[in-house]
Amino acid sequence: MPIYDQRYRRYEARNPLRELRFWPITREALKLVIARRAFLLLLLVAWVPFIARTIQVYVVTRFPEAGRVLPVDGRLFGEFLSGQLGFALLVSVFGGAGLIANDLRTGAILVYLSRPLTRADYILGKLSALLSLNLFVTLAPALMLWIVAVSLAPEQFATLKLLWLPPAIVLHALVIGLAMGLMALAVSSLSKSARVAGLAFAGLFIGLEIARGVLRGMFRTPETGLVSLQGNLHALGNALFGIQHRFFNQPWPLAALALLVMAALSLWVLRARVRAVEVVQ
Amino acid sequence: MSGAIEFARASCWYGPVIALNDVSATIGPGVTGLLGPNGAGKSTFLKLAAGQLKPSQGEVTVLGAPAWGAPEVFHRVGLCPEPDAFWDGLSGWQFVTFLLRLSGFDDAEVKRRAEAALAEVDLLAAKDRRIGGYSKGMRQRVKLAQAIAHDPQVLLLDEPLTGMDPVNRHRVVELVKRLGREGRTIVMSSHVLYEVEAMTRNVLLVHQGRILAEGDVREIRDLLDEHPHAASVRARDPRRVARAVLDLPEVVSVEFGEGGESVVVRTTRPDAFYTALTEVAEEAGVHEVFSPDEDLESVFKYLLARRGGAR
Amino acid sequence: MSAEAKPLPPPVPFLRAAKAVFDLSLEEMVWSRKSLVMAGLLLLPVGLALLFRVVANLKHAPAGIDLYGLVVAMYYLRNALPLASLFFATALIADEVEGRTITYLLSRPVSRASILCGKFAAYVVTGLTLTLPGIVASFFLLVPIRGFAGLAAFVPDLLRDLGVAALALCAYGALFALLGVLLKRPTIPGLVFLIGWESLANLPGWLPRYTVTAWVRSLVRHRPVDEGLAELFQTTLPTGEAIAVLVAITILGLAGAYGIFSRKQFVLDQ
Repeated sequence: MPIYDQRYRRYEARNPLRELRFWPITREALKLVIARRAFLLLLLVAWVPFIARTIQVYVVTRFPEAGRVLPVDGRLFGEFLSGQLGFALLVSVFGGAGLIANDLRTGAILVYLSRPLTRADYILGKLSALLSLNLFVTLAPALMLWIVAVSLAPEQFATLKLLWLPPAIVLHALVIGLAMGLMALAVSSLSKSARVAGLAFAGLFIGLEIARGVLRGMFRTPETGLVSLQGNLHALGNALFGIQHRFFNQPWPLAALALLVMAALSLWVLRARVRAVEVVQ
Repeated sequence: MSGAIEFARASCWYGPVIALNDVSATIGPGVTGLLGPNGAGKSTFLKLAAGQLKPSQGEVTVLGAPAWGAPEVFHRVGLCPEPDAFWDGLSGWQFVTFLLRLSGFDDAEVKRRAEAALAEVDLLAAKDRRIGGYSKGMRQRVKLAQAIAHDPQVLLLDEPLTGMDPVNRHRVVELVKRLGREGRTIVMSSHVLYEVEAMTRNVLLVHQGRILAEGDVREIRDLLDEHPHAASVRARDPRRVARAVLDLPEVVSVEFGEGGESVVVRTTRPDAFYTALTEVAEEAGVHEVFSPDEDLESVFKYLLARRGGAR
Repeated sequence: MSAEAKPLPPPVPFLRAAKAVFDLSLEEMVWSRKSLVMAGLLLLPVGLALLFRVVANLKHAPAGIDLYGLVVAMYYLRNALPLASLFFATALIADEVEGRTITYLLSRPVSRASILCGKFAAYVVTGLTLTLPGIVASFFLLVPIRGFAGLAAFVPDLLRDLGVAALALCAYGALFALLGVLLKRPTIPGLVFLIGWESLANLPGWLPRYTVTAWVRSLVRHRPVDEGLAELFQTTLPTGEAIAVLVAITILGLAGAYGIFSRKQFVLDQ
């Protein structure tokens, strides 16, 4: 009869085979969200402004005098991305609110965290899903618009002077996606109901913006815009694309700092809330 | 005699999925077991009886009134739903008293009835704790307490024993049996034959949205005679196990497994077999028992085959 | 024993049942995390007003009543109250369905109207509890920034604002209660209504009449400087008509919500 070694043996699991451990989480999250027909419709509607802007570029390249009313230059892309913020909000509410809340409600978070995945992998997986959705309504149409503009008016857009446009588009879209994504996920982790989380995120986003409005009325200084996520994203976009705006005119380094603080707060909330167990008192 | 619950050619669809298909049944006083595998339509049956769903076709009446759209019927109906759902911020006491107030009782009556119901399910000591902090078994019991607190004539219990420990399971079984003896109409759903058998001999077998059979549980047993329960026992001395169970009249065959380390016993009375096995377990060194077939599932297969053959 | 031997008593009286539902819903709403979020949103102006009193140079500040008007008209009536209504009123029934506790309510001898009305009353009380102190505190922090003289003259404005806030809560609440029972996912349509549809209030002609916000803002005297198109087209509708329309929206919204709720079957996720 064989006698086995009874000493304590350290657990020696192999490193997970996949380098991108968060990827299955991202893939599943995307699959679940995209399976909803209403969400696909929202994604499609988010491209309507792209069509409108394409028509604008076409009209101005064919009839240059129309450019006096609807100017077509680098600022067009900043304005376009700022306009897409509304869709980014809806996508974050619809697609992001349930990402963690549903896992908390069903206990799926326990299943995830009992796999060779860290909390960071889990958060990264969910964030990547939401970021992808946000980029689909910001980066993708904006880059497409740039390609259209270059194709229709190469003499105007395919110049060294406007070489900064694609990196600026990528940077602004990434900032929008990351800021919205992190905040939406943080709010999602605070509730077990996707509906409540969605409303809370929308409330926070809009609430901060109306607080900005009230503060501006009271103090009449541009720095009051720093309290608003939307205001800071606009201010950063304005600085990147050289837009002079009447309301969103807080200094861009401060806006960037405010966004960093908001992201750090969101990460702090996620770190506190994403756990495998919850203590009921 | 008309029953307290009557289904007259009732069907229920969830979109394109048919959950209950042309069911006619009359359920009278006493305990009736609603038996069927998961997804058979038991919960839909109970939801229709409890007026939570409207039959897509046919009629469902409870105490002579339509179950759907007649809230007055709930003066005399108690429902213990299957989902483990509560207003988690409430204590057991708040939960039961709130639902009693909704039944229209005054404060003194609410207090008296809540105390009695919580005592019935042995939760009086824990009544002031938040339900969110209750164990699964306690949550099941508080659900039962709210269902019986208003002294209903008809009691609908959807898988009420899930998650209960043996002591409380026994307690609840005895309570349901007593309520049944008092002349109430009780329908209890389960997918476990022994659970139902412990409470009643009167069963309705539900399968794929239809009533497959109804009657005395002994008739089910007869079917089991034709399709005995098989149990595989791995033991240090399987022959000792075989000797102990061979004397039982209900054992129809004993067969030794490969290598002689296990024995497969087929019996028409699993409860008697398991009692005998317990007695020799230590002596024979029993270390594993499992059933290679689900006996209830086998009965369903058998009935389905018979129904198919009859057509 | 014959099942029909004893006739069934009638359902529990409407008010008694509604009161029981109201008590439970109030308990659930007031002590929920959701209310904390809403309290943050609805009491934010108090914090901002305090900050203003501490930080700002009051000598060069705008008139106190103008600042208060900005808070009431722009913060509360245009944005925070509709949002709070969306938050609470869409959840009146949806929370019970999501939490699968609706079964308990629907298996008692009470009418569905009493469940809906009890819950709606709890929403109104919670909303008012969170809103009115914020408006009153903002009034007393902002109006007397240059002294208490003449404060009494503005008290009728405050009372009027409180009444308008209550009316707005009811109208938006009824509308969103309807949306909540009509749709499985009312959040996005609700937001689209608030951000998109309600912007019609800033367009010329009859369009503002098709919004709730135009009627609400017509009831207050404050006209803070708006942004964009709102600056160009500000419509003020007749007061009597505005009250009648808001009351009608409340009644029709609740009736519609009841109509749907009374027929709805709830298939709960297992």
